[in-house]
Amino acid sequence: MYSSVCSGALNGMSAYIADVEVDTTRGLPGFDMVGKLSGEVKEARERVRVALKNCDMDVPPLKITVNISPADISKSGTAFDLPIAVGIMVSTGRIPADRCKDMMLIGELGLMGDIRAVSGVLPMVIKARDSGIGSCMVPQDNAMEAAYVNGIRIIAVRTLSDAVAALLNEEILNELVFRRDGSAVKECREEKRYDYADMIGQEACIRAATVAAAGFHHMLIFGPPGAGKTMIAKRLPSIMQPLNEAESLEVSTIYSISGLLDKERPYITQRPFLSPHHTATASSLAGGGAYSRPGIMSLSHKGILFMDEFPEFDRECIEVLREPLEDKRIQISRARSTLTYPADFMLVAASNPCPCGHYPDRNLCNCSDRMIARYRSRISAPIKDRIDIIVSASRVEADRLIGDSEDKRSKKRRSTSSAELAVKVSRALNIQRERFRGMEFAYNSEIPSGSIEKYCRLGKTETEYMKNVYDAMELTARSYHKILKVARTIADIDEKEVIGIEHLGEAISYRGDI
Amino acid sequence: MNGITNELIKREINYLTREDDGFPERLKRIPSSPKGIYYMGELPDENVPSVAIIGARNCSGYGRQMAREFALEIAGAGIQVISGMAMGVDGIAQNAALSAGGRSFAVLGGGVDICYPAENAKLYERLLDNGAVISEYAPGTPTIGRNFASRNRIISGLSDAVLVIEARQRSGTLITVGFALDQGKDVYALPGRVNDSLSLGCNELIKDGAYPLIRPYDFVCEFMDRYAMLRSEDGNEPHDDEKRLLKKTVNDVKATDIRRFDINAGKKQGGRSEGLRFLSTKERLIISVLDHRPKTVSEIFYDLSDRDDISITELLGLLTDMTVKHKIDCIDGMNYCIRS
Repeated sequence: MYSSVCSGALNGMSAYIADVEVDTTRGLPGFDMVGKLSGEVKEARERVRVALKNCDMDVPPLKITVNISPADISKSGTAFDLPIAVGIMVSTGRIPADRCKDMMLIGELGLMGDIRAVSGVLPMVIKARDSGIGSCMVPQDNAMEAAYVNGIRIIAVRTLSDAVAALLNEEILNELVFRRDGSAVKECREEKRYDYADMIGQEACIRAATVAAAGFHHMLIFGPPGAGKTMIAKRLPSIMQPLNEAESLEVSTIYSISGLLDKERPYITQRPFLSPHHTATASSLAGGGAYSRPGIMSLSHKGILFMDEFPEFDRECIEVLREPLEDKRIQISRARSTLTYPADFMLVAASNPCPCGHYPDRNLCNCSDRMIARYRSRISAPIKDRIDIIVSASRVEADRLIGDSEDKRSKKRRSTSSAELAVKVSRALNIQRERFRGMEFAYNSEIPSGSIEKYCRLGKTETEYMKNVYDAMELTARSYHKILKVARTIADIDEKEVIGIEHLGEAISYRGDI
Repeated sequence: MNGITNELIKREINYLTREDDGFPERLKRIPSSPKGIYYMGELPDENVPSVAIIGARNCSGYGRQMAREFALEIAGAGIQVISGMAMGVDGIAQNAALSAGGRSFAVLGGGVDICYPAENAKLYERLLDNGAVISEYAPGTPTIGRNFASRNRIISGLSDAVLVIEARQRSGTLITVGFALDQGKDVYALPGRVNDSLSLGCNELIKDGAYPLIRPYDFVCEFMDRYAMLRSEDGNEPHDDEKRLLKKTVNDVKATDIRRFDINAGKKQGGRSEGLRFLSTKERLIISVLDHRPKTVSEIFYDLSDRDDISITELLGLLTDMTVKHKIDCIDGMNYCIRS
């Protein structure tokens, strides 16, 4: 007998509806699976057979053929276990066919019939809802994640026996319907945050970080070891605006595909912060592999990609940043397929100023000029061109760190809190949102060079000032544009319509002449 | 042999053995004197005093400034400047000497036809016009590290005194000083702060009896006196050129010296010096916390914090403004130090 149940599968960032067709006939007993399936999908055969047996639902000695359509897209993952098992039950007549109608089934089976979490549930459930499917049966551990999709009934199951029971009995099914709990969303928002108030010194870097966050500018921090470059970067999400609903869904989808969502708090509301080690490979950053997965650059979508010891990364890793920095997405082309993942992140790179880390303090640094130039040349010009803000961090001196409480300086020891800075950032971002309404870009850092004149207009005095600076500092056209964009952001923080000399002066100090 | 000679002539490379006329007298007198020297340009004048200015390759802003000031004064007084054309102090001093209209000579660690380091190609060209490049190694000899130590004996050998601008402990510069002492030359060292590693070598030298270099003009006067004394001890009557020089030193140099040190002169009269007159109060405050060692903005901000309520954004703007107006120096576009 023939049966068909509905399941979901992933192709890059998007999910599609996959129909699991099962046919059982008399003949030589066997179990065949077709539909361009990868290894782990084919192994479902053994998992399903044993799980059914252990749930007292023996597979009869029949010839079983499973086809997962559309049969021309390669499929991976273990989400087909549950639909295959249910499909067999339907085609052998133990579950009425109409009970599975209008329902998507997702889940991996253990040998004892337990149903385990799979990745990519979020986009699959969204797809199901959008295709007009009324309910979706998911593993209990994925229920929270699935429940964020409104307008579809989520049935959470723990074991295959539960699943079968629910499909046979409407009452049991109703008991298993998972209801979204309001408090869960709130809980997700209250994760532990780092705060700039924890920092001592580095006021200039914190200010630069504020400007960077306010205009989504990429940033490069130079400084000796132990200067607090990482601390500055780690606190950036604390001053950025929280993800909005759409962004949150997008980021959660990426994490869902990668199987990285927490089962208790499966919704990403904070801006991601990723700091790959400098031994990372280019494909771990970009994503890909035989069955493509999002890379670190996509996991930092809408958040921060922090690359410490930037020049120590492989050249290939640094160059692979080019496309996402330009297009805000990464395209992975393999022999079998081409996939596109979003990768709209803010790059924060940190570097020593020279191989030993102490330049320009010649008392500590004995690196030759040539060594320094070679070290810095590992950050290639096209990457430097995309980085608007360059600052240097210095090691905090002992008296400041330990500081006598009676010292009047101690009042100034602590930095401004993240909450205060977040207000400034938010203000600037709201202005930009208004300004760029209906445009294809959202931040000052993304203003195309053709529109710089329009958005970063300078008055007469300011133009004169910039002319002087342009000559005195021997700026290039590109660095001139960078300065204007950063000045625009600083003016937005000040809620000024017109860019003033004070804004330009500060922006120029971030130009980083390296 | 003829072929080689022709080749030398074509490239304007000269070769002198110790026995030849024109071989520097000073070099004949040093222990393990070279058998012969190759040179391009004109050898140092036997009858004009010459001093070596040497120091660290990776020098600090302080070293850079002092190398320049001393070389300007010395070359301005007509004294020849000998050095090694290396990065850092050597090259800076030689460039300054040429800029002051003086003559300068570089002793290389490889063939004279090879410009090492390549970054100093411009200086190399200038030296050919107003001095020479000299080497005991045949043309085409690549520059290798172990040659440096022995070429250093020629640097000190060609000089009547050796000036050390900045030196770390156990540095190549101190090898030259060792040769100078063996050859009986006077050694002068520029004092620095006691905790600066780049001044450690110099401060140690001063402790061991080297003359401290305080003001360029004082050095020139002192050196010229010493030089005249040494020459007469050797039984040499001062050459006409030298007499002229000595006179020039005392009269002309004084004028330039006073001009150069008018900051101090101004202070004595209770007035403000020219350079600082047009600074605002805040700018003067910023300069007061700046140093030769480049500082980050955060450091400057902290140093200012107990004196003034300047905001970080205002400070950034001021620093940019002062950089544009060349009142301070900006390193890499993010670190600031006083102008050198």
